[in-house]
Amino acid sequence: MSGTRLGDQVGRSPARVGGVGRVTGAQLYVADVDVAGVLHAKLVTLDCARARILSVDRSAALALPGVHLVMTADDLPQPVPRFGPQYEDRPVLAVGETKYHGEPVALVVADTRELAERAAALVRVEHEVLPPVVTIAGALAAGAPLVQDPAVRRKGDALAGTNVLHEHRVGWGDVDAAAAEPGIVIVEHRYTFPIVTHFAIEPHAFMAAPDGDGVAVWSTIQHPNWLQKLVAGVMGMPLSKVRVYAPDPGGGFGGKQHAKLEPAVVFAALAVGRPVRLVLTLEETFQAARRAACESRVRTGFHPDGRIAFQDIEADYLIGAYADIADRVVGKGSYPAAGPYNVPAVRILARSILSHTTPSTAFRGFGNPQVNWAVESNLDEGARALGIDRLEIRLLNLARKGDAFIPFDTPADGEWEQTVRLAAERIGWGSPLPEGRGRGIALGIKSGPTTGLSYSNVRLLGDGSVIVFAGTSDMGQGARTVFAQIAAQELGAPLGWVSVVMGDTGVVPYDQQTSASRSTVLMGNSVLMACRSIQAQLRAMAARLHDVDEAQVSVDKGIIRVGDRELTVLEVLRPGLGSLGGEITGLGEVRKDAEPSHPLGGSAAFFEFNCTAIEADVDRETGDVIIEKHVTVSDVGKALNPLQVRMQDEGAAIQGLGHTLMEHYIYDDAGRIRNLGAIDYRIPTSMDLPIWLHSETIENDDGPGPYGSKGMSEGALLCVASAVGAAVREAIGVPIRDLPLTPERVWRALHDTAAQGGGGEARG
Amino acid sequence: MHTFAYARPTSLAEAVALLEAHGPDARVLAGGTDLIVRLRDGSAAPAIVIDVKRIAELRAGIHEADGRVVIGATTVMTDIAADALVLRHFPALAEAAAVVGSVQIRNRATIAGNICNASPAADTAPSLLVHGASVVAEGPGGTRRISVDELFVRSGVTTLARGELVTAIELPIPAQRIASAHVRRTRRRGHDLASVTLTCGVDATGVTRIAYGSVGPRAVLATDESGVLADPSAADSVKSPILEAVFAGASPSPRSMRAGPEYRLAMLRVLGRRALAVAIERLAAGE
Amino acid sequence: MVETYPIEVTVNGRRRAFEVAGHHSLLDVIRDDLGLTGAKECCLVGECGACTVIVDGRTVDSCLVLAVEVDGAELTTVEGLATDGVLAPIQQAFLDKGAVQCGFCIPGQLMSAHALLVEHEHEHPTLAEIQEGMAGNLCRCGCYQQITDAIIAVTEGGR
Repeated sequence: MSGTRLGDQVGRSPARVGGVGRVTGAQLYVADVDVAGVLHAKLVTLDCARARILSVDRSAALALPGVHLVMTADDLPQPVPRFGPQYEDRPVLAVGETKYHGEPVALVVADTRELAERAAALVRVEHEVLPPVVTIAGALAAGAPLVQDPAVRRKGDALAGTNVLHEHRVGWGDVDAAAAEPGIVIVEHRYTFPIVTHFAIEPHAFMAAPDGDGVAVWSTIQHPNWLQKLVAGVMGMPLSKVRVYAPDPGGGFGGKQHAKLEPAVVFAALAVGRPVRLVLTLEETFQAARRAACESRVRTGFHPDGRIAFQDIEADYLIGAYADIADRVVGKGSYPAAGPYNVPAVRILARSILSHTTPSTAFRGFGNPQVNWAVESNLDEGARALGIDRLEIRLLNLARKGDAFIPFDTPADGEWEQTVRLAAERIGWGSPLPEGRGRGIALGIKSGPTTGLSYSNVRLLGDGSVIVFAGTSDMGQGARTVFAQIAAQELGAPLGWVSVVMGDTGVVPYDQQTSASRSTVLMGNSVLMACRSIQAQLRAMAARLHDVDEAQVSVDKGIIRVGDRELTVLEVLRPGLGSLGGEITGLGEVRKDAEPSHPLGGSAAFFEFNCTAIEADVDRETGDVIIEKHVTVSDVGKALNPLQVRMQDEGAAIQGLGHTLMEHYIYDDAGRIRNLGAIDYRIPTSMDLPIWLHSETIENDDGPGPYGSKGMSEGALLCVASAVGAAVREAIGVPIRDLPLTPERVWRALHDTAAQGGGGEARG
Repeated sequence: MHTFAYARPTSLAEAVALLEAHGPDARVLAGGTDLIVRLRDGSAAPAIVIDVKRIAELRAGIHEADGRVVIGATTVMTDIAADALVLRHFPALAEAAAVVGSVQIRNRATIAGNICNASPAADTAPSLLVHGASVVAEGPGGTRRISVDELFVRSGVTTLARGELVTAIELPIPAQRIASAHVRRTRRRGHDLASVTLTCGVDATGVTRIAYGSVGPRAVLATDESGVLADPSAADSVKSPILEAVFAGASPSPRSMRAGPEYRLAMLRVLGRRALAVAIERLAAGE
Repeated sequence: MVETYPIEVTVNGRRRAFEVAGHHSLLDVIRDDLGLTGAKECCLVGECGACTVIVDGRTVDSCLVLAVEVDGAELTTVEGLATDGVLAPIQQAFLDKGAVQCGFCIPGQLMSAHALLVEHEHEHPTLAEIQEGMAGNLCRCGCYQQITDAIIAVTEGGR
């Protein structure tokens, strides 16, 4: 039994539930799961961005002993099933054309992985390389090849003859009138955000096996129920015949939210009648998932006193060849682009631009970091132009709690000023800086879930121990622990007596998804609700046992009061269940329904709000950026597990430093990714940390989740680039508007400025 | 991975015979940190892999003999970086060995492997050049010594003949101590391949040697005997033209993913000046 | 017919004898033949450290070692850290300090941390030494500070 006091679980940091398995190597990830008779699969892909498939010769591959199957689109039901969470555009295997570097043409199944690899290398795909579009300019150019056939675009889609998948327009007030007002200072610049990839240390992995007249699927998927529905639909099976096992992913960050290759693996398993496993290499994972790049034009108007008069934002997101969830990313990410400020006139146009590249998908921040980089950087430019302190201009415009800063959405739901002032205090804003060092401060905001549905089951067993069934995916954020804490607290059980079952659609009730930092709030409330149901049953049980009115019984966490007597759960449960034994079950259902008239389909359940402040040195000779201080403060409502909150915020901060300082895909002229794999795609190591990284929280118990909690874990990533960019800008006196800020790029910015005769501006 | 035969000769004669017999169809396996990557991506597809780590005559380790420091071919970077002899006489080599990859890589990567792979960015190459290192090669024709400067041709190519195996690296302990420093440019502070790698050595006679890599097909060694570079009181304006001549041998590839040619050339100059300053300081401090 | 070679390896204290194909990596053999799935596959080029194990007292990326090379060696994997079901101090410290999020990189991190602690057995490693010693183990969840805290906790308290 863990040594924590009963009824006192929440707000403490007990050891991670499921932690022991992770430190002993006992934890099984998808690639570790052994299933008897499993065969091994390997993808056949082409080394080009786009090609017309002319023919596939499998004979040499099939001639190898131990090769069971070489499956192409021709072997699938016709027309080939297509899937996707927004548009059903992605074929199970490439049909007629590969549309991105790494799109699978065939799946080979063999006795061993080695054999499958050798056989895959023997599959001859005759193909004609076609010209790809891999940039926004390329995709929008007149006469550019269309990534998607207009015939498969939605009916009545006016953009069907273009590579613009969708346009998202959000706005209020009159931007043009505001811009025309006398005395308005207008600052306009362009900014770019690179293509980066999730690089979870666990590559995507999938396994499928015939299961009676149905199928069992193992996947690194973050959304097991989505996958279940998808597989059932594609295979024409009822949901009850599709069982999805979703072991804890080894890192997700959004890259494992939606199906990539599961349908292909399912078809293969059913074709050979045996379990089939496909584990991607790291390179294949880079080809399977990425974040959308973005080019923005931001035009901000300021009154002379620093109040923002208007924001006029155009953001083009480069998404991939298939939509995946990318268009939602664009819509939801750009939606709060004007920031957590009271801005009277806003016009946002965000476009999803198709390209012959890896389908972009969800990635921590969900489209917000891209525009945050642009809008916060532009805010700094305005401050400089007006001679106003960059912290003061933010405080001046910051929305206060209750402000309808986005007119038709949830009002500002936190005392955000506290977050900002705390970050400013910790970084020492306003204190003298050593020569060559700069400071930056930025604010990040993101809408939480706009719709949601989370069921949970909680079972209070006869000895007072508890099982929680919750469909959230624990990919490191610690959801399992938080739910265990809630159940332990509410039902008076020691934490070590609470088991949490996740990742099995056969036994765990429905959960819509694990994303948008929703799980503490939605699933947490669901678990809480289930516990309340159990408490009600305990109340009735106690009343019956003690022959009193239910009105005289109260249950508060693990204590049951009958009149003026205090009883433990067991003191009611044991006699209440009697000699036959048994258990008490509770069901929780938390639903956030869609609001059809809302631009995002629903208002935000909560906002994630973060302030990041940076102090950075720049070596002017080499361009190296050293982050001396990195302060990150998030408004979290209540930290149900403070240690896990700190880990998430610091982890998000470090991940944000990746795209800020070193990460980007490098494409060649033919549209192929050159830096696939770990050698030439750099992410932060233990030696790349800020000299001082400090995270703190603001907790006002003002969130919609259990005990006043809000969702968190994306906030601390949102404005990292903006704050670092601002610090670098101050240190070197030269603006850089393109990420990442690699040493070479920083050097180039200094070098080019010097060459043009500018010495950079004085620090302001 | 492609399949191959695996041989583990226990004598030098056996190893040489195998190498001579198989020629280009054989690859030497020492640390494996380069070879295994190539075996996996198919850029190396030998018929036979010859593991040299159990050859009796090839003992990993470092010792002094006849005015030279002798490093066994299979000595790994971890041990080179920590060796007292190396630290005392060839500090830049210790510095270079300490930044080859991560701890895990350094526990396996051998100095002979680093040399024989002849990557232009090999981190030990500049310090070996500055310190006038040679390799001892055993082959069908017997033993010979080849200076490291004569060994490198270009990426992946050395002047070793068929059947030859490097058994040791020898660094002369000079009568006039060479104080050296190694610096490099990478994309992050964590382990990385170098975009520029450079060693500078100065001695009390005023000779400065600068060797640099990752800016052309092979590492380049340049020497300044004028005494100007080594002179701590000489002005930058006087040193600059000499440094320009030193770096005239650089020809960075425009196709590299790691860094562009203009940046590399600029960093050569920055690193050259910084390494020179450290070397001068070390000479004065009597390190 | 692929040729196999007989090797003898002491795995987590136990002598084992088996046959391996020449081209199988140590990682392959640990996971597939020995059934020890703690060591993970990720980059397979010696960059990420998810496959880190200890051979003759030194950490190596097992993806870059052929199984045949460790004939006669002593091999320690994460499964060998705990004794009789009792977690090693470093394992417990990882849990206590919140150094574990998704957990996928953790077996490799533990191997490197263990080796670092053995190397600095009679002293306190500096922060820089710890960060450099651990730099060969990538953590995308970003647990680096907590991992460092765990290592420091062991050096200061209970080894």
